[in-house]
Amino acid sequence: MSTQDTRPVELKLYKAHEKVYPRETKGRFQFKRKLAVFVLLGLFYLLPWFDWGGHQAVLFDLPHRRFYIFGLTLWPQDFIFLALMLIIAAFSLFFFTALAGRLWCGYACPQTVWTEVFIWMEQLTEGNRNKRMKLDKGPWNFNKIWRKTAKQFLWITFALWTGFTFVGFFTPIKELAVNVVTWNLGPWETFWLFFYGFATYGNAGFLREQVCLYMCPYARFQGAMFDKETLIISYDEKRGEPRMRGKTRREAENPGDCIDCTLCVQVCPTGIDIRDGLQYECIACAACIDACDDVMASVGLPKGLIRYTTENALEGKKSRVLRPRILIYGAILTLLVSSFAYALLTRSSIDANVIPDRNSFYRIVDAQRIENVYNLKIMNKGSQTAHYEVSAIGLDGLAVDFETDDGVLSAEPGELISVPIRIRADRSVANKKIHTIKVVVNEVDNPNNKRTETVKYFGYDK
Amino acid sequence: MGTRPVTDQSQFNERQIKRIFYRRLGTAVWVSFLAAAVQTMIFFAQFDPAYLNEIASITISIDRWQGYALGFVFFWLFSFITGLFCGVIMALPRTKLAQSIRQES
Ligand code: SF4
Ligand code: SF4
Repeated sequence: MSTQDTRPVELKLYKAHEKVYPRETKGRFQFKRKLAVFVLLGLFYLLPWFDWGGHQAVLFDLPHRRFYIFGLTLWPQDFIFLALMLIIAAFSLFFFTALAGRLWCGYACPQTVWTEVFIWMEQLTEGNRNKRMKLDKGPWNFNKIWRKTAKQFLWITFALWTGFTFVGFFTPIKELAVNVVTWNLGPWETFWLFFYGFATYGNAGFLREQVCLYMCPYARFQGAMFDKETLIISYDEKRGEPRMRGKTRREAENPGDCIDCTLCVQVCPTGIDIRDGLQYECIACAACIDACDDVMASVGLPKGLIRYTTENALEGKKSRVLRPRILIYGAILTLLVSSFAYALLTRSSIDANVIPDRNSFYRIVDAQRIENVYNLKIMNKGSQTAHYEVSAIGLDGLAVDFETDDGVLSAEPGELISVPIRIRADRSVANKKIHTIKVVVNEVDNPNNKRTETVKYFGYDK
Repeated sequence: MGTRPVTDQSQFNERQIKRIFYRRLGTAVWVSFLAAAVQTMIFFAQFDPAYLNEIASITISIDRWQGYALGFVFFWLFSFITGLFCGVIMALPRTKLAQSIRQES
């Protein structure tokens, strides 16, 4: 695309927008999509209401800088998990796109899912495609006004509820509900509630396919993951052409299977004609498959004139699912997921940091022993108060010494404590300029929960 | 997608030129919004806004929420300016250089 002169494209991209009135469809793929809508939105709207171990099951508590995800509490120190999760999400997207095209777009993207719901509400209030088109063309009479008002009412209520739920992932939703009812929202909560509500309303109610066309980054690069074996939704041109209908069709000798009913065009949420070939606009929602299958069944022709297929299959070549691209993406994905699982399972609830005291290398105490001073920082990433012990290994007879107000080292959940520690060794042992030792912090009640940090130890080499 | 600058505006009418301008402006706003979201996430995972507020040379007191929001606006603004400048620099001035580049292609 980059080699062409793009000036005309830029203009075309901004041609006046024609409203798309998708026609309602039923069928096996639409059933699956509906299922996806219910599962995904169900999770979104219900999850924040569940509790787990004394806190909201899923809560991204930004003011306290901790994330609760069921039994797991993540602190900023666990950023690696967040990063890994995002990388895994990205690779899954690559993997599934290479395998089955724009599955994400058709079934799981919030844009599609919310648009779907908004269209349901539109159908409920304004009727089916023909009625909606007529209504929009007709004059502003009573019928039109109340239908449009009812639609707006549903849309706005739903959008606000969405905004509310969204904020409920960041502030405890039950408190939030009370605050909403008592009109007691803080400025940020108010802002985000309306912001997200408005975004939902605008994107799902009005922008719809334009988000996919103009705004979505994924739509721009998904093509790079496609190859000739990727599942695409395609019209079987060999079988369908020459398309014709009515009298021409009856009189024709060898008509193609396409009866040119244009139903596939009417159901398309992005307003394209799949018979023109694979297009950038197609979000692979499979509505045209369901529509066409119905038509084929009613005229007694085999289904699948429009179907999930691959470019190779269309050209009559053999398709194979396992190919280097899939294997490589798959391998990377497996590696990432297993390292994520491993890191999660072996995650220690102690985060420790040992920083050498900047002011001195070492000190000689009672003539025989060397002392190095460090600052030890411990963060308790668990969900309970913990007591700690500190020891050092790496040289014979290392002794660790520290002073706290009450003699013990303990931290509340999420607390960061900082304490100076002194590590002593015999002069005869610490006889090199620099040694490497390990400082071990472990929980008193659970010695297996520990954290080891490597530090330099300055010895006496004169 | 193409980003070749519009060097010769004579082929467009006023309205089209305006559209191109708003389209580019909108692109910069939207893309910098996405970029700012990612930057905010990564940045504040590492740095606590409350702590930054303590050590900052500006003496206003902000809480964490305000810190996050301020950070986001900051990232958005600067990413947007970057995008804007990209657009400006990319659209070559109507000079002989632009003319010759256009004729070459
Ligand atoms: S094109 Fe983008 S916004 Fe549209 S459905 Fe696909 S991922 Fe979602
Ligand atoms: S062409 Fe078919 S699969 Fe693609 S967006 Fe339109 S209806 Fe959905």
